[in-house]
Amino acid sequence: MEGRVANMWRLTVNESKFVETALQSELRVDGRGLYDYRKLTIKFGKEYGSSEVQLGQTHVMGFVTAQLVQPYKDRPNEGSLSIFTEFSPMADPSFEPGRPGESAVELGRIIDRGLRESRAVDTESLCVLAGKMVWSVRIDLHILDNGGNLVDAANIAALAALMTFRRPDCTVGGENGQEVIIHPPEEREPLPLIIHHLPIAFTFGFFNKGNIVVMDPTYVEEAVMCGRMTVTVNANGDICAIQKPGEEGVSQTVILHCMRLASSRAAATTKIIREEVEAYNRERSLQKVKRHPTLAKSEVSGPTVAVKEEHRKSSDQEKAAEISREHVERLDLCSEEPRSNKEEEVTASPTNFKGGPSKWDPYSEAMDVDSLKASLASRGDSVTKSSSKKTTNGSENAEKDAEMSVEEVTGDLGKKDTIEATKQKDGEMTLKDAVKPKKKRKNKNN
Amino acid sequence: MSTEVSTSPTSLIGQTVVPGDVVLDLSNMTNQTIKLGSGLRQDNDAISAMRAGKFRFSKPNKYWVESSHKRYIPRPEDTVLGIVVDSKSDNFWVDIKGPQLALLPVLAFEGGTRRNIPKFEVGTLLYVRVVKTNTGMNPEVSCTDASGKAAGFGPLKDGFMFETSTGLSRMLLSSPTCPVLEALGKKLSFETAFGLNGRVWVHAASPRVVIIVANALMNSETLSGTQQRIMVEKLLEKISE
Amino acid sequence: MEYVNPEGLRLDGRRFNEMRQIVAEVGVVSKADGSAVFEMGNTKVIAAVYGPREIQNKSLQKKNDHALVLCEYSMAQFSTGDRRRQKFDRRSTELSLVIRQTMEACILTELLPHSQIDIFLQVLQADGGTRSACINAATLALADAGIPMRDLAVSCSAGYLNSTPLLDLNYVEDSAGGADVTVGILPKLDKVTLLQMDAKLPMETFETVFALASEGCKAIAERIREVLQENTKQLEYRRAA
Repeated sequence: MEGRVANMWRLTVNESKFVETALQSELRVDGRGLYDYRKLTIKFGKEYGSSEVQLGQTHVMGFVTAQLVQPYKDRPNEGSLSIFTEFSPMADPSFEPGRPGESAVELGRIIDRGLRESRAVDTESLCVLAGKMVWSVRIDLHILDNGGNLVDAANIAALAALMTFRRPDCTVGGENGQEVIIHPPEEREPLPLIIHHLPIAFTFGFFNKGNIVVMDPTYVEEAVMCGRMTVTVNANGDICAIQKPGEEGVSQTVILHCMRLASSRAAATTKIIREEVEAYNRERSLQKVKRHPTLAKSEVSGPTVAVKEEHRKSSDQEKAAEISREHVERLDLCSEEPRSNKEEEVTASPTNFKGGPSKWDPYSEAMDVDSLKASLASRGDSVTKSSSKKTTNGSENAEKDAEMSVEEVTGDLGKKDTIEATKQKDGEMTLKDAVKPKKKRKNKNN
Repeated sequence: MSTEVSTSPTSLIGQTVVPGDVVLDLSNMTNQTIKLGSGLRQDNDAISAMRAGKFRFSKPNKYWVESSHKRYIPRPEDTVLGIVVDSKSDNFWVDIKGPQLALLPVLAFEGGTRRNIPKFEVGTLLYVRVVKTNTGMNPEVSCTDASGKAAGFGPLKDGFMFETSTGLSRMLLSSPTCPVLEALGKKLSFETAFGLNGRVWVHAASPRVVIIVANALMNSETLSGTQQRIMVEKLLEKISE
Repeated sequence: MEYVNPEGLRLDGRRFNEMRQIVAEVGVVSKADGSAVFEMGNTKVIAAVYGPREIQNKSLQKKNDHALVLCEYSMAQFSTGDRRRQKFDRRSTELSLVIRQTMEACILTELLPHSQIDIFLQVLQADGGTRSACINAATLALADAGIPMRDLAVSCSAGYLNSTPLLDLNYVEDSAGGADVTVGILPKLDKVTLLQMDAKLPMETFETVFALASEGCKAIAERIREVLQENTKQLEYRRAA
């Protein structure tokens, strides 16, 4: 027992008291306003259907895979969608190894409800041979770092992974017309999933007997708060799922207020996800065209890095200035005239969404080559890795910038050329698209 | 003495070393006494590094590796911030971010007797001094200085505590005063306590100031002195607007 | 499929705002400190409460000065049409968590430090609305066990089918794929503790369904009060005799 006590993360009385008192004057410990989101970064992996989402310090990886299986008996012509979560003790010592704990199960269920019950993914189009073969899509969510609000981050990771996932095309043929032929990606372009809408989860924390509401609680806030509610909404203002699992009671007006907040935010977050996915898709299609030797970069470092680089300044002066500016921006939020200018910024430049630009983590963001040298090998693997990445970014800065501009130009050309291809691949799906593949299949069956 | 030092392989001083690097060769440093600090290990005539960091030397004869960690290895006479985990009849169990929980004897307070044992609830933040760190035993801490006076040790009320690295807290404790503190202190009034275990406590009249100071300190770890000053300047400019 | 016919009647002949018949009884498990059976139409749940008693597994204790509440929800193998495969699936784990936290909100845990309260819930017949029935049964059992409570936690569900908000869905209506809102409230304090929803609903529709479910909760609270009053009277009567 003593061992367990020693390894637990502990909250001091001072912290919990301060978090509450600061919230009473509408201040949060990381300088955000009550309804500000932390900085959201979405990255994609080299393979189809993998994503990495960073929400402040929280870090979640999503991975989508598909397999041909027999359908469930009660739904013979529908594919299935299942969600698995992995809470490894690596991310947080309070996660226990082995069987998924309560929180892991709950997180999976919240995301599952949001995605499945609202029919965000078209499962009927995943049917290959009614009653015999359907695609079973599996989403794996790995928590890499727990900085609070895992649900929202995991939900975005799941969406981003689903949107970039491609399944191999397959046709029904053979002698008896019952054999399923899977076409390798070299032969036929793999197909994206049909996603009707994006249900986005927003988590609220309740403090002070449910009288104070904050959005996107951090780890410390989660430890202090007395209640939690996750609202999953899409950009059309539909509510797809709600989870308020007991805990402190709050009044109905507070709940409805949270929902309005969530639906007002949904459009902005949807836009970020769509833009990131589009940028990734563009990059991928360019890679396929291979019109330029320099473009055949094997590294898909993700567009977010590129955006950041444009902002990156090399001289000491400017860097410090930048940090302080961001810092102040945060503090600005807690000053008397809060979010009006903030929202303008969001609409103006959605790619670097600063719904609460949390440069909270000094290691991953405020690290540059000089400081690296100064405090080399200070803390273990993870930082060394991230900072070394930064180093390469820094040195290749100019080079990469040039490349970026080339890419941009050719990007437009490529888009025109492969307009058919991109249409299918783009995140934007219409109901028409949902119908098409079915018809094709029917014709073939006939 | 100093001449002898110059003949020894001092080229590594101020350089970064990684575990396994041989930093000193004792065979050509005969008849001198040296003191090894943290992160160094003696293997016959070779002194090698155990931790990655900067190799430091202080006259006349102290050598150590300077690095920054999230965990803290207790050393006697360090001042740290601890969290009360449990209270037993003889000791309080205190978490000091070390490998073991530390013991705080209930009598280790100024004028402490059996009659006036303080009551601390679980989660109380304490400013304590490490007294003993014997291997195989839980480290012992105390709320008095060496002469038995309170000297500022004891529970910290209100304010906000956050965890950083040992390197940052050392930087904040260094003298002359760290630029970020100096710059902040010119404009804002606040109270702080830095533990060598990487815990920092900030207290001020308004929560706003606490948040500003806490975030400025957290951001300052990787900044140089000038950068820190500029950062604080810009910050304060923005606030005063 | 038509779930509401033109006359405004549902499949089982109820109106849109009509609840199924509620039958409740306390003190059904002799070994338990408190127990209750709660029936809503064909849904039948049995609840047993043990405690407050000594904490058995100390490692589960998170808050020192509060009682530890544990809850186990399970569905009997025979509760549904086809036999259920496993006892502890993800749904049960989630429901156990949700019910536990709902009951924690209504138990005055701070009055019973260093103790443990176990709530066991077993679904004997499942016909939609099991989680609501479980919460209602748990409330009755806790009241029967004499555990101090802030208020009676009650729960009710409502759905939306054929553009009509429907109160208290049965299994057929529940599996129709329409929205399903489960609300748990503390009626006297007028606070919502539990709120779960799935499927898609526009904001305005949600508000009406939510309001309907809350009304349902209040009606159930009335019924639960009656059951408890009846029970208390019985006890008094027996003592007098």
